[in-house]
Amino acid sequence: MEGAQDEFCCHGCELAWTIIHGAGLQRYYDERTSFAPRPQPARFSWEAVPVQTAPDGTANAKLMIDGLRCASCVWVTERVLERMPGVCDATVSYATGRTTLRWDPNRVNLPALAGTISSLGYRPRLLGEESSPDRELLPRVGVATFAAMNIMLVSVSLYAGWFSSMEPRFVVLLQWASLALATPVALWAADPFYKGAWGGLKNGVLHMDVPIAIAIVVLYVHGFVATLTHRDAYLDSLAMLVALLLAGRMLESRGRRRAAEAATALAATAPATARRRTEGGVETIATAELRVGDLVDVGSGQEVPADGELVEGGALVMRSMVTGEATPVAAGPGDKLLAGSLVEDGAVTLRVEQTGADTMLGRMASDVRAAADRGIGVTSADRMAPWFTAATLTIAIATFLWWWMAEGVGQGIITSVAVLVVACPCALALARPLGAVAGLGAAARRGLMVRSADPLLSMANIDLAALDKTGTVTEGALEVVDACNEAIRIASGLERYSVHPAATAILSEANRRRIPISRATNVSEVAGEGISGLVDDRRWKLRRGDAGSVQLESDEGEIHTIRMGDTLRADTPAAIRSLEALGVEVVLLSGDHVEVANGIANAAGITRVFAEFDPQQKRRWIHERRSEGRKVLFAGDGLNDGPGIAEADVGIAMGTGAASSVLVADGVIAGGSLKALLAGIRAARACHHTIRVNEIRSIVYNVTAVAAAVLGFVNPLVAAVLMPLSSGVVIWSASRIESRVAQAEAA
Amino acid sequence: MNGIFFLLPIAILLGLVFLVLFIVAARSGQFDDMDDPPERMLRD
Repeated sequence: MEGAQDEFCCHGCELAWTIIHGAGLQRYYDERTSFAPRPQPARFSWEAVPVQTAPDGTANAKLMIDGLRCASCVWVTERVLERMPGVCDATVSYATGRTTLRWDPNRVNLPALAGTISSLGYRPRLLGEESSPDRELLPRVGVATFAAMNIMLVSVSLYAGWFSSMEPRFVVLLQWASLALATPVALWAADPFYKGAWGGLKNGVLHMDVPIAIAIVVLYVHGFVATLTHRDAYLDSLAMLVALLLAGRMLESRGRRRAAEAATALAATAPATARRRTEGGVETIATAELRVGDLVDVGSGQEVPADGELVEGGALVMRSMVTGEATPVAAGPGDKLLAGSLVEDGAVTLRVEQTGADTMLGRMASDVRAAADRGIGVTSADRMAPWFTAATLTIAIATFLWWWMAEGVGQGIITSVAVLVVACPCALALARPLGAVAGLGAAARRGLMVRSADPLLSMANIDLAALDKTGTVTEGALEVVDACNEAIRIASGLERYSVHPAATAILSEANRRRIPISRATNVSEVAGEGISGLVDDRRWKLRRGDAGSVQLESDEGEIHTIRMGDTLRADTPAAIRSLEALGVEVVLLSGDHVEVANGIANAAGITRVFAEFDPQQKRRWIHERRSEGRKVLFAGDGLNDGPGIAEADVGIAMGTGAASSVLVADGVIAGGSLKALLAGIRAARACHHTIRVNEIRSIVYNVTAVAAAVLGFVNPLVAAVLMPLSSGVVIWSASRIESRVAQAEAA
Repeated sequence: MNGIFFLLPIAILLGLVFLVLFIVAARSGQFDDMDDPPERMLRD
């Protein structure tokens, strides 16, 4: 502010201040009377939502559904909606929550459909609204974790008190402290489970939330009564269970939100504004306003706003973001330019042929969106949930009736509570998230960050790995492959002040070989053609040759060729050999020329190569392999790999790659080494195995414990000891995933 | 040992203060976007 002492919290603020003052904008702060208004979210009613009517009389609309927790939620929502009279079909995407509805407007309307979705416990909203599901879950996770940690502290004292005979008044204090801490967990933090269970029950569907909700309620009521009667309450396991389940749920919802943002990010890669030629001059307009046939100017360092034909000028154009070619291409009149490619040097005018969603870039964005909407399968725990719940409830009721007949109401209640407590699916519900967290950690320590549990588990079954060339198998940067020292010396002088990638490569090569940079005079650069100048009193001309090489010619006819290329990452061949040893077939998919792709594949040890594939072809190729039943992993780095990454069973992006490919990917390779893929597959296999074993273990535990409880051998106290024990076994075996992965690596 | 009768509630209350602060922060959208803000100033 004016007059205040100039002190800044950081360089960023100082920079912002300098920019504002430099532009003479500080008067804004003097003249404003209140803070700038922020756009308020508009309140809206479902009646106002635009509904499209198809020729056959059906209406359709797209909305987003928040609060989808698992694949079975998707299944429930679709089924319930489709059972409503008048609804033709309903498809819900698990990854994004995007929902497509088609209905008969004479029999049902959108407000009614939205009401049904709300009654299931999910939140429908208009597509395109801001979403922030974490705001609801995060405080619950906080409360549950806080309570769990504190109850643990209290419980440890209680357990210790058993052995060293604590005074009863201390025991009472600690028990009441536990109850006080557990109450908000059971009454408030666990709310999502109650809502989910209630929504499911109302519609006659039993999913995983139902047994969890029952267990929480029974545990809490039991704990409450136990505290009043000074018996052991075991509220610690209640709080721990809720905290772990909530945290797992929050991590999953974050992952899904990122995937949804990726498609938006991809579309945003085209520049927001374009400079359109008018009769009088040039005007700057929003890219969205461009029309086919417009003439657009694109200068050096700018991105092309639309697909079109170059009509004037010439430039080096870097198309790697769109097509995957590593080297810039010289473009002149008559050449096609693609939206999203970068004009490296030179200036061009193009006639717009496709805009927005019709451009290559736009089609890629919609491919990504479609693949993310495809959804995933239902997990085994979810499939078991209905049977599990139904069986538990039936057994508990039967037990109650039987003991009531035999020994009276009191014994009936005690025994059936024991059944419900030992039947708590804690171990079953924990098997997957804990195994996944351990597996994700093991992979992350080896350089592969996987977004969430589902893609990691699908990595276990991968049998085909398709790799992109530029930036994935190779370093992704242009380098001098072959040239004599003299050529480098002369070229470095000419290229000294140039910015395009070939110049950077030549200069860094000169630096690496410790060649002094020559002095060049009279240097002139013609965009799209080359550079000429005087070095040692001889006239030299540097031109682009074929297939990524540069020709250096003197006026006397002396010619040097500097071969440039993309070099293989050092550990790629070893990684590919190991992948094949794990039974994974490796294939190279490249947008580059056949010879270049074959050369790299040979060096890397890949036998199957598909070159000159555009993003759509890569996606289609992966789609075809998937429909043949192959489990496909695709690793790529560029924007052009987005559709392939989204289409594959497991899509992996290079951490150094384009932001949108990182966003849409299931996992990211952090260190740039393909060995991370190997670690990922090993971690996934260990994880898969452990989760299977744990699921079987927890079912065996539940079956035996329930049987014992039914017969009256288990009282609520023993049950409460057994339950943490079963969860403990699950936690212990999940913690062994890391050492399993290490063993697999050593073998 | 009698100290525990007031020390335990005090400890839990102290923890509660931070929990409430955390909830207020989460409610006001402090944790909505963990990736964007550090990069935003670079983009402007």
